[in-house]
Amino acid sequence: MKIDAQIVQATPGPHAVWVQGVTFTYHGAERPALRAVSFVQSAGETIGVMGASGAGKSTLAKCLNRIVPEFEDGDFRGTIRIAGEALEHLRVCEVAPKVGMVFQDFESQLFSTNVAHEVAFAMEQVGMDRAEMDRRIIPALEAVGLRGFEHRDPMSLSGGEKQRLAIASVLALRPSVIVLDEPTTDLDPEGRAEIFELIAKLRAQGLSLIVIEHESEELRAANRIIVLREGEIATDGPPAEVFARTELLMECGVRPPGLGHALKLLGIDAQAESVEQAYDAIVRAYPRVGATLVDNVADSRAPGHPATSGNAATTGPPFMAIENVSFSYADGPRVLDSIDLRVEAGDFIAIVGQNGSGKTTLAKQIVGLLQPATGRVIIEGKNRAQMRPAETAREVAYVFQNPDHQIFAATVQEEVAFGPRNFGLADGEIERRCNEALEAVGLQNERQSDPFLLSKGERQRLAVASVLVLRPRMLILDEPTTGLDHREQLRMMALVRDLNRAGIAIVIITHTPWLVAEYARRVVLLRKGAKIFDGGVREFFMQDELLRSSSFRAPEITELSRRFGTLALSTGEFVAWVKGRA
Amino acid sequence: MPIYLYIDRGTFVHRLHPTVKVFALFVMFWSVYWVDNPIALAPVGLVMLWIAQLTDSWPNFYRLRWLFAILVFSTTIAWMVFYRRGAVLVNVPIFHISRLSLIFGVGRGIKLAELLAASVLFLSTTKIEEFTYGLQRMRVPYRVGFAISLSFRLVPLFIDSAVTIVDAQRLRGYDFNQGGPIERVRRYVPVVIPVFMGALRKANNMAMALEARGFGFSHEPTTFIDYPVTGADIMAFGFLIALGTLSFMLYWTGLGGIGPLK
Repeated sequence: MKIDAQIVQATPGPHAVWVQGVTFTYHGAERPALRAVSFVQSAGETIGVMGASGAGKSTLAKCLNRIVPEFEDGDFRGTIRIAGEALEHLRVCEVAPKVGMVFQDFESQLFSTNVAHEVAFAMEQVGMDRAEMDRRIIPALEAVGLRGFEHRDPMSLSGGEKQRLAIASVLALRPSVIVLDEPTTDLDPEGRAEIFELIAKLRAQGLSLIVIEHESEELRAANRIIVLREGEIATDGPPAEVFARTELLMECGVRPPGLGHALKLLGIDAQAESVEQAYDAIVRAYPRVGATLVDNVADSRAPGHPATSGNAATTGPPFMAIENVSFSYADGPRVLDSIDLRVEAGDFIAIVGQNGSGKTTLAKQIVGLLQPATGRVIIEGKNRAQMRPAETAREVAYVFQNPDHQIFAATVQEEVAFGPRNFGLADGEIERRCNEALEAVGLQNERQSDPFLLSKGERQRLAVASVLVLRPRMLILDEPTTGLDHREQLRMMALVRDLNRAGIAIVIITHTPWLVAEYARRVVLLRKGAKIFDGGVREFFMQDELLRSSSFRAPEITELSRRFGTLALSTGEFVAWVKGRA
Repeated sequence: MPIYLYIDRGTFVHRLHPTVKVFALFVMFWSVYWVDNPIALAPVGLVMLWIAQLTDSWPNFYRLRWLFAILVFSTTIAWMVFYRRGAVLVNVPIFHISRLSLIFGVGRGIKLAELLAASVLFLSTTKIEEFTYGLQRMRVPYRVGFAISLSFRLVPLFIDSAVTIVDAQRLRGYDFNQGGPIERVRRYVPVVIPVFMGALRKANNMAMALEARGFGFSHEPTTFIDYPVTGADIMAFGFLIALGTLSFMLYWTGLGGIGPLK
């Protein structure tokens, strides 16, 4: 993405942001969401804010533009100044020209039918004259790489483009600081890369940015990292310093950068911002490892990852087979193109590919929500076309990306019991199955809780329980970790791994490389509806050209291991390999 | 699948002043309101067909073809139950099938279809911003106008979400087609609650995003796009006045009712 235009930011004075003793308690909450938070952001500084879900990150962001306490009811104490001006007594809309805010949900922040008009929207609201709007629109679009898109409908843009448009629309107001609240959560790898590239360029232009993000690797270039824990600042410092405190990060529900964590586990007192730096540090500390480069990937297999081939068991009838399936939506282009896929009992498959590559459509073909135009889906030897979706549900369960698309009952117990009731099971059997499913997902103590009051991670696990209760033999999870913090991601994936070990075939649709590396045993890569890779995880991460052309990056630890001529899928595996060779 | 109806074409209808378009929608509704007779509804229908052809709006009508068919068919059937005038042609229990009830039922069906068609044409040729601007020029407060136009954008999103929720519940073995009519309505509770909760969440997110973009800063926001009044607007305005007057005259003279067909 080329940035030609310089975006002029309002002169913020000595400090872009000055936060002093901010405490906020939501109405009816038992404890404050933020507790005595104080920090100062210098003009031109980029601050990364991290922490577990519920740590107070979004609340802090909302305080900066007065959504808290203007919009969210509660008790607010403390002082916030933006570019030297106190925000007290200002309405949210009056703060808009000072603080630009980009939200996670890009669909909810676009209101116009035309890109240029979308950029103009905020300027119209503050009463700017047309000539000035004209002067600002093109530079803002240039800054985010959307020049030439002026007449496009925002809804026709990709996720990454929509989020860039949202950033352009706040840039146009030239605020003193821009706050980005998890701007890449709902994006595919290509969209994520676009946004982080843009953030880096805005930072290089000297804009003051506050970026809330879960992935620590993406915040290495920030000037400072603030980690929040239960509403308080747990640590605040330069990335190298903060990311070196791996125990603290893990305590705070933050995933430490893989490279730094590996160096620490290897007893190397150094920080690495790139694979090259980590490689040099390891070679210096372990000269023998550097000197004995191997090129034997198979040699690097580790316990827990026995299958490196995607087609390990292709003899005999599979549990589920997709045979030459093609599909198009009404009047649309082909979404699936002659797909063949076999899933064996006990498989653990990750389906990856950019948004629009056909991943969810493929899953819907398996469970019977869509019918193939050509080809067929076979489940347990039966043609799925002759099975109703409800019948298929007993064999293959599908957990939607958004758990809120199915939750409706008054209690967790009732929510889980809904499925078995539909199948007319006896009360005793329903009770037994509910207990079993709730225990499997760790919600046995929440039986009488209101599902809508659970955390996102708990709601996601509830969604799993509510299909698990039907005792399916295969489980499809559509982006099961989206929007979860690291701790919740680990918990979710531990649950999925346990289910797999219990014999349930798992298919996850995901954009997250480390999940694929650490949990899956086979990868299916889709591109424009066609299957272009189906094989073992190690084999997949060795396909450099394929990864590049699919905008899918191997985890850094995997890239580092490949510099040594091996291929490790996790930090633990890599550290064990180095120590074994040293 | 596109979720909005606006079709970007450079036709003269697309280029009409937003106020004229909002007025056109009002005149279409007005014209349909005064007339019951299917033949008397024809002029308005023909005007709409002409505009649909001119603006290349057929894809939207095609998308909604089943809705149009169901609307006309179910309304005709319903009025054959409730409109009990004229000599019975065929004896069917509950129904009163007479020439008069058929004409009345078909007329009501066409009337509803024309109201829907007017809305489809309006949304096919009018951007959300134009809708807001048009309402604003007609002295509707900016916040109200914006809320109305935004709701048009939200409906397709909610429909999309409802379809996903129906799928999710079907995959848990739920059968929406069990029981009589009341039971079937009741069985949509597992869809209505998640849609409602999702709508609340979405509305809350949108409201925050709107305020964060300065919405409410000024009671009379400026506009980025200039909408000059042209000769075409004046001609269209005159035509709409004539159409509205014609419909009212049809009512006034009794030609628009079903009386003459008795």
